[in-house]
Amino acid sequence: MSEDRELAPASTDGAPNASSALVIPGSTSVMAPIVVPNTLWSAADPAAYADGRASEYTHLAEVEASGIASRDDARWSGVLEIIPTKADYVLDLLRANSLWPLLSGLACCAFEMMSSATSKNDIDRWGMFPFRASPRQADVLIVAGTLTTKMAGPLVRLWEQMPEPKWCVAMGDCTCSGGRYKRSYSTVEGIDRVMPVDVYVPGCPPRPEGLIYGMMKLQQLVKDRRGHWPERAVGPTVPAGV
Amino acid sequence: MATTPHQHASADDPRVLLDDHMGLYEPIPPYPPRTEREQEFYTLGDGEMFLNAGPHHLATHGVLRVVMKLDGERIVDVDPVLGYLHRGVEKLCENADFHQTIAYMDPLEYVASLFCEWPAVMAYEKLLDVEVPRRAEYIRVLTGELNRVSSHLLAMGFHALDLGGITPILYSFIERDEIVEMLAAITGQRMLFNYFRIGGVNGDLNHDFMSRLGDWMSRAGQQVAANAALLNENEIFVQRNRGVGTMDRVTAIKHCWTGPNLRASGVPFDLRRAHPYSVYPELDFDIPTRAEGDSLARYLLRIDEVKQSLRIIDQCLHQMPDGPVMAKLPRLLRPRPGRAFAAIEGPRGEYGIYAVSDGTDQPFRFRIHDPSFLHLQSFTTLAPGGLIADWMTLNASLDPIMGGIDK
Repeated sequence: MSEDRELAPASTDGAPNASSALVIPGSTSVMAPIVVPNTLWSAADPAAYADGRASEYTHLAEVEASGIASRDDARWSGVLEIIPTKADYVLDLLRANSLWPLLSGLACCAFEMMSSATSKNDIDRWGMFPFRASPRQADVLIVAGTLTTKMAGPLVRLWEQMPEPKWCVAMGDCTCSGGRYKRSYSTVEGIDRVMPVDVYVPGCPPRPEGLIYGMMKLQQLVKDRRGHWPERAVGPTVPAGV
Repeated sequence: MATTPHQHASADDPRVLLDDHMGLYEPIPPYPPRTEREQEFYTLGDGEMFLNAGPHHLATHGVLRVVMKLDGERIVDVDPVLGYLHRGVEKLCENADFHQTIAYMDPLEYVASLFCEWPAVMAYEKLLDVEVPRRAEYIRVLTGELNRVSSHLLAMGFHALDLGGITPILYSFIERDEIVEMLAAITGQRMLFNYFRIGGVNGDLNHDFMSRLGDWMSRAGQQVAANAALLNENEIFVQRNRGVGTMDRVTAIKHCWTGPNLRASGVPFDLRRAHPYSVYPELDFDIPTRAEGDSLARYLLRIDEVKQSLRIIDQCLHQMPDGPVMAKLPRLLRPRPGRAFAAIEGPRGEYGIYAVSDGTDQPFRFRIHDPSFLHLQSFTTLAPGGLIADWMTLNASLDPIMGGIDK
């Protein structure tokens, strides 16, 4: 951490709230980022956040200029670029603890999904509750139930209507691999053929505890910033590090 | 080569289907009409408009798509579009042996799975001419009635949920979770039990099940009454249901309605009494009916049925005989060539299985009769003339399950 990136020192005239405290020293650029030490939270995986890169890159513009940025890092644009990237970590923490799923039940698993949302297994305890009816208000698409070829198009349209950042959980054997309908002529053998999947929850159907475990895995994924797929390509691809 | 609509290399390849969104899922009006009915429906009159609900919609109980033709807020006509959950079960069953087909039955009616296994094993037992042990029959009735209670409780909760009430579904799921947990104690699964076998059931009752059942039975009646009191005395709920979707008994019979929906129209038809099967002739229970035939009657009738189911469970526990739970059968089943039809009374009506055997270990033809499919056809009769909100009430009170409809 170099000297010129330190927080501008307060004035030395003794009055902390004097107007001179707001005067920026001439030697400091307006665009110099404010560096706040991270004592709030650290990722469980030290290799997360672009392979544990050195902390001298505190400004997204510098990151972009350095050429190490992948598409995943370039989430912010416009005015938000002046926010230090530490804010991004905090935002990921907020996102992870307020995952709003889309209420999209396709078949049997939908009832276990609803069971996990009601009194006995209350996933509201982990901040995942408000099941939104509109894809434009949802963060997580829990695909619960068999995906048929006729439903594939509408489901992908729902996925595309969801705003970024967004995550997808495949609930049940049918969505993971086709399950007991693998040999059928009308089903999609795993939803990863039509959309990216972050967490697979096997079971036919999985118990509500299983879905809760999968959603907690997704929370860890969001905190470690591995859930966001840079390329939403159609077809089974696996991101690095997952 | 650029893919043009309707010129795919393979219609089964979902990646190909994604290339043109409009070919697969176009809003309204969708396609050139193929029938006279479609021609009539997709021709707008003066001041009319279309409204699309589904396939992703909360009030459609699954992936049903309903196209409504509206005049203001009044529904002029309704066109249900099916097939979003068509999994090809009948074809899969014709390529599986008789034991394996039972596993395919469960996800048809996923809130009352046992009622789809039951007609299948009954049809095979007719083909094989097997006598089921009496204890197995009692266990089937006991577990089936438990499943009926959980299904009706969910129907009550979702009825309220569709009308905007969140609380009743929370109470319904408490009882439902307890029932499926006790069934999981003997079947090993919470929803898709795969419990009935040809000639009996998979396992005997165990201590975990019996202790949970006894505990639940001591408070079941009270809990159900408390759940019902949440809605029965709710002025908004009653006002929105009374007089909506009224079906007279003649039309109900013409539309092949069965189950609670038919009995709510005043027809005391119940397969457990009309065509007795299993040990139901030995059990004492009433067939509740209601004369009104509207959504409120269909809702109230389900509560009456829950009371009768609790009576049956109580009698089963007292009359349960000792003995084996499986008939002695060879592992490889090859029935003589022939055909059999078996039907049972499920929580939504008559489930039937028609199985044809050609002497091999697989059914030659396998046909599933589902009551929800027949209830759904009455949308076009009951919904027109009402408001959009009335259609929500109608759909919730008919209580269709898309797994059985689309098969």
